[in-house]
Amino acid sequence: MAVDITKSKCVYCGGCVAACPVAALTLYETRVVCDEAKCVSCGTCVRACPMQAIELKKK
Amino acid sequence: MVFVQQTYDAIVIGAGPGGSAFARVAARGGLDVLVIDKRKELGSPVRCGEGIGAHWEGRLKLPLHGGAIAAKIDGARCFAPNGKSLKIQNAETKGFVLERKIFDKYLAIEAARAGARLLPKTIVEDLVKDGGKIVGVKARSFDNEVLEFKAPLVVSAEGMEAQIARQAGFADAVAGLYDTDTCFEYEMANVECEPLIEIWFTNKFAKRGYVWVFPKARDVANVGVGIGGDLNQHPKERLDAFLKAHPERFKNAEIIEVKAGNIWVGAPLKEMTKDNFMVIGTAAHQVDPIHGGGMALAMEAGEIAAEVAVRAVKEKNFSKKFLSEYEARWRAAEEGKLLKRLKLRKALELFSDEDFDRVFELLGEKDLERVLDGDFKPVVSKVLVKRPGLLKVLKALV
Repeated sequence: MAVDITKSKCVYCGGCVAACPVAALTLYETRVVCDEAKCVSCGTCVRACPMQAIELKKK
Repeated sequence: MVFVQQTYDAIVIGAGPGGSAFARVAARGGLDVLVIDKRKELGSPVRCGEGIGAHWEGRLKLPLHGGAIAAKIDGARCFAPNGKSLKIQNAETKGFVLERKIFDKYLAIEAARAGARLLPKTIVEDLVKDGGKIVGVKARSFDNEVLEFKAPLVVSAEGMEAQIARQAGFADAVAGLYDTDTCFEYEMANVECEPLIEIWFTNKFAKRGYVWVFPKARDVANVGVGIGGDLNQHPKERLDAFLKAHPERFKNAEIIEVKAGNIWVGAPLKEMTKDNFMVIGTAAHQVDPIHGGGMALAMEAGEIAAEVAVRAVKEKNFSKKFLSEYEARWRAAEEGKLLKRLKLRKALELFSDEDFDRVFELLGEKDLERVLDGDFKPVVSKVLVKRPGLLKVLKALV
């Protein structure tokens, strides 16, 4: 399970990282990385993102 | 840091205002301090309206650096949805709008001058434990090397992300959406400004938050919007709509920077210390629930935590019990006021635009000051005498 982040929309603010209830996301400078082993596809990051840059990855 | 050393008295994660304040005061107190920050450029990207109250200048141990101040602010102007405004000018609303990219670097430089070591572009990935006890951190450098640093005290000044704080067991250091505002901001040129912070209450453009105009010069301002995080609204789209709805003010405005971010607007963490670990600043949810400001609160926490850390090193006692003096002192200074502000935030969330308009009709400028100071009762009574129908939204304040 994981999320898709549209890089052209992301402003690397880390809002998704702060909201992720399972700490699956990490912000490295301008890049948000999702640890697929931790992600539970709950969609919290999708709602937290001020740029609407995140979507749940379709399986 | 050019010369690497493995063992410190304290390791700080994050070189924002809180982390650098801790490092400066701790280093001045004789501690060997290492500050690790994952960014290559401290202070960037800006995720902030950049406002700070002038009254902090005397309370904090470091004067605000002249070069970091973009504009001096004489007060605040609050707008009702119908455009009626009230001006507040008192000790709390006088202040500055900063240039965070300069300010954060200045704070880091002052920490370095005091003797703190700094390691940017290095990300702390894990805590190092020995028999369950926190004894240091594991970090990845920009050469992709895994570095291990030891210290009897680790301080999280990580801001909203608070990942290592969560690893250390502060489970509530996560930003639940109801208590988070999602924010979007343009820094714009060609926006005429009074030297006043503007706060616009408006459900249409900023439900459960507000629109702000923070001047950085006579004709430059941060113009932003913060919206309740669980509302599924798009703050950029709302800000663009607000600008279009005010063509007289913004028709010549040009965007010179785009900023976004989320900010905590709930209660401070229930617990801010554990054995060998402290959490300070926004990571500890030390943020004003009304305006979302956290810089000054973080610096104050950093300074207090550093004073406690200096004594912890002298007495070789890093127990939660010993470190929690920081927490007690910070709460005594700030928490009462913040919890009143939280109550006010929750009452304001229930307001419709018409409610805001009605209340603004009835209030004078002194009344608004009283409300912001947490003195709700006289103002609520005054409003209810004229508009008893507002009891449903105001009852939380009495």
